[in-house]
Amino acid sequence: MASILPPAERRSVVLVTTYAALSLLLLVVGDHLPVAWTRGVGAFLFAPFDRVVLTGDRLFAAWRESNELHRRITQLELENQRLRSAGAENVRLREQLELPVLRGMPLRPVEVLALGGDPMPTSATLSAGARAGVRPGDALVTADGLVGRVTEVWSGLSRAALLTDPNLAIACEVESTGVNGILRFTLAPSPRLLMTAVPLADTVRVGERIVTSDLSLRFPRGIPVGRVVRLRTDANGLMQEVEVAPAAPISRLRHAFVTPGPEPLTPGEPLRPHLENEPARIAPLPISIAAAARKQTRLDSLAAVRRKADRDTAMARAVRASKARADSLKGVPR
Amino acid sequence: MRPLGGFLVAVVVAMLLRSTALSSLAARGIIVDVLAVATVIWALRHGDAWGATLGFTLGLMADLDAAHWLGRHALLLSLLGYAAGRLAGTLVRDSARTQFALVATGVLVHQLWSAAFELGRDAAGLPYLFGRALIATVVSAAFGTALLWVLRGALGRSVFANASRTATKS
Repeated sequence: MASILPPAERRSVVLVTTYAALSLLLLVVGDHLPVAWTRGVGAFLFAPFDRVVLTGDRLFAAWRESNELHRRITQLELENQRLRSAGAENVRLREQLELPVLRGMPLRPVEVLALGGDPMPTSATLSAGARAGVRPGDALVTADGLVGRVTEVWSGLSRAALLTDPNLAIACEVESTGVNGILRFTLAPSPRLLMTAVPLADTVRVGERIVTSDLSLRFPRGIPVGRVVRLRTDANGLMQEVEVAPAAPISRLRHAFVTPGPEPLTPGEPLRPHLENEPARIAPLPISIAAAARKQTRLDSLAAVRRKADRDTAMARAVRASKARADSLKGVPR
Repeated sequence: MRPLGGFLVAVVVAMLLRSTALSSLAARGIIVDVLAVATVIWALRHGDAWGATLGFTLGLMADLDAAHWLGRHALLLSLLGYAAGRLAGTLVRDSARTQFALVATGVLVHQLWSAAFELGRDAAGLPYLFGRALIATVVSAAFGTALLWVLRGALGRSVFANASRTATKS
């Protein structure tokens, strides 16, 4: 075929055939190739250009955002005062109830250098990396709420999967009622955030706020994710599908914060699940260690049961005492 | 050497546009397929070999960025660059209608090809993906034609004047 073509055309045919063959080869074996490092090289090479391009954008937006931020700061300072007193009260109450004290979220500011993904952005290149203490698994948030999760970290840059990545699943709950579900971006039949695995018996209302769940193994609890905009029964008729409008607009992503994910439940926990709704994959332990761990678990659970029983007894005693006091007070003539 | 310098500039500009301004637009539903637009325009100016090369390079970079289905953009964009380059010799490249039609066809084919990978086995997303492809086609074709018009005004001559093409007219 190529021999009947003029030389220049023959060269073009050979070239395009080579490209096509190479592309087909990549389509077949590409998923097995370790290409993560190429994204690191690409992010490193493009970062200076991204910064130059973004400078103009930042300057344009700075004046407009400045006024809005002044108003917001005043509003938040007033709210902060109220929350401080509520926080102090909360700490006292948690101490009295013997509940663990909640940790604050350390926030590390980062700049969003570039968005990736075709045609919708599903990932973001961030201006901070391992040198700044960013780790894979950290949550990416803005003042409005959750944006995504850090997936790859290089020395000076990192990359985060955004909420629009269909491979990212997040354990969430309805803030007011605590109804749990799994949030995931879906393309079919139209692109949207869906909270699934919500039982029909649970009450969810339009407008309610969705936050990251206490059960999440990957995200700190209580980060706003969005608001309920629509409810419907899923295809099987067994569960509810809750459509959620994201709290943080991904199209206007310029600055964000990286915050560490939750600590492992147990200090020696080796692996976290790949997906939020996937059972944890625990590495097989040698038999002797596994037996010791089982024994320790039994002892721990026995100790926990004993502690709970002690607490219940103390509470019952306190209730009886207060009741007796109330009875004695009733008996006192005025 | 001049096409090589222009080639590198085209790659960097297209990738920067894709990862900054156009990404923000895409998140709002306005999709400009800058990869297909750049490939078609480059192929119209420099012919089939350069068109295929730019298409392959841009496609490969987009594939590496996406991390899934490596080679899908590279395959289609290299073929698109080759086809547009081949047609460059037989078309009136300075006609706005020709530019619009050619860019629109290229973008539509690229969008439908990309949609086929996203659709998988679930046909429920078909209307949305078709709608998205149509929006991308119209917006990208208008963007490409307007860009050529602006470049023509800025240069004072056609972008395709004295263009080097490696393809031989048949």
